[in-house]
Amino acid sequence: MKKDNLIPAEEICIRYKVERKFVSYLFESGIIEIVKIEETEYIPDEHLSEFERMIRLSRDLEINLEGLEAIHHLLQQIDKLQQDNRRLRNRLGLYE
Amino acid sequence: MEFIDYYKLLELDKSASQADIKKAYRKLARKYHPDLNPNDKDAQLRFQQINEANEVLSDPEKRKKYDEYGKDWKHADQFEEARRQQAASGGGFGGGFGGGGQSYTYSGSFDDDTFSDFFEQMFGGRARARGSHRGGHFKGQDYNAELQLKLSEVYKSKKHTLTVNGKNIRLTIPAGVENGQTIKIRGHGGPGVQGGPKGDLYITFNILNDTGFRRERENLYSTEEIDLTTAVLGGEIHVRTFDGKVKLKVKPGTQNGTKVKLKGKGFPKYKKEGQFGDLFITYKVKLPKHLNNDQERLFRELQKTGL
Repeated sequence: MKKDNLIPAEEICIRYKVERKFVSYLFESGIIEIVKIEETEYIPDEHLSEFERMIRLSRDLEINLEGLEAIHHLLQQIDKLQQDNRRLRNRLGLYE
Repeated sequence: MEFIDYYKLLELDKSASQADIKKAYRKLARKYHPDLNPNDKDAQLRFQQINEANEVLSDPEKRKKYDEYGKDWKHADQFEEARRQQAASGGGFGGGFGGGGQSYTYSGSFDDDTFSDFFEQMFGGRARARGSHRGGHFKGQDYNAELQLKLSEVYKSKKHTLTVNGKNIRLTIPAGVENGQTIKIRGHGGPGVQGGPKGDLYITFNILNDTGFRRERENLYSTEEIDLTTAVLGGEIHVRTFDGKVKLKVKPGTQNGTKVKLKGKGFPKYKKEGQFGDLFITYKVKLPKHLNNDQERLFRELQKTGL
């Protein structure tokens, strides 16, 4: 796997001032991915937005790790419902 | 500059304690946080406002100034002007306004100028607030844009120039994007905070159908009229497809409402180059409204045959 789009987890912890266990928990709960290359753990950059969202929620609203997991799950459901809604609206346009 | 009642925003009265303010802020922040209300501009605006209210009311000094000038904030302008004049002439006011300049790191997705004029005038233009005041290297703000295109314009991948925050961005819109679909253009958002990466640009498409076709994802639907004799006896007709007319055989005895599928004559599949959906044509058999004498005679003959 190319390292171009991977950010070392250690660097992320320093830059975002978060503990390593925060990153590990997000990985364990399936919110972000971690890729291991030669004993070094990396986070793919496409997961950065979600990672930052979790940091903002944790800091702004003081939400704990379990809460973040629940929110992530619900936001995914909202996203899916919005997509379904869009498709149904477009389909409804067929009969208007 | 519009007066904003910070107490009303936080659903509090003027006697609220610091604990009440904190509690009210947290309750409303959870309700309107932009990350919990994706694509909801009203929630984003409300979140900014309650942050602003919290920024002022949770700071005893700022709260005091706000309480003092309140609805008569316009007098604060005069006060400020008087203070400046006094300072210029060597005098000075103790206290008063102009306590801005305080700067917070910020991990948000709203613009620099989103604090109300009221806040900026009261507490200094650049003071900003959002829950997270703790430092960090954050990705720049994500920009959202809406792009209105005609259906005919998204039949082929095409380059478009967008102006986002005064900058022209030239990008290729892939063929087959759907109405309401949002695509992400990486790195075209705001600059990163404290060395963080640039934000992304999200474009939502508003696609207007300027064609005679109805579209459902990659499939197209249309209605074609056929003559009664063609429906009964069969024949050939020319039908419209998105990229021109094609000749089509009509089977003898084709019923009104019959649907035929033209494989691969639909709309391009999004991000699947060279792949197309299908075109579904519904036949509408055209019945003659006025018959001449000969035609009427022939129909009567047919009627006698039991047709």
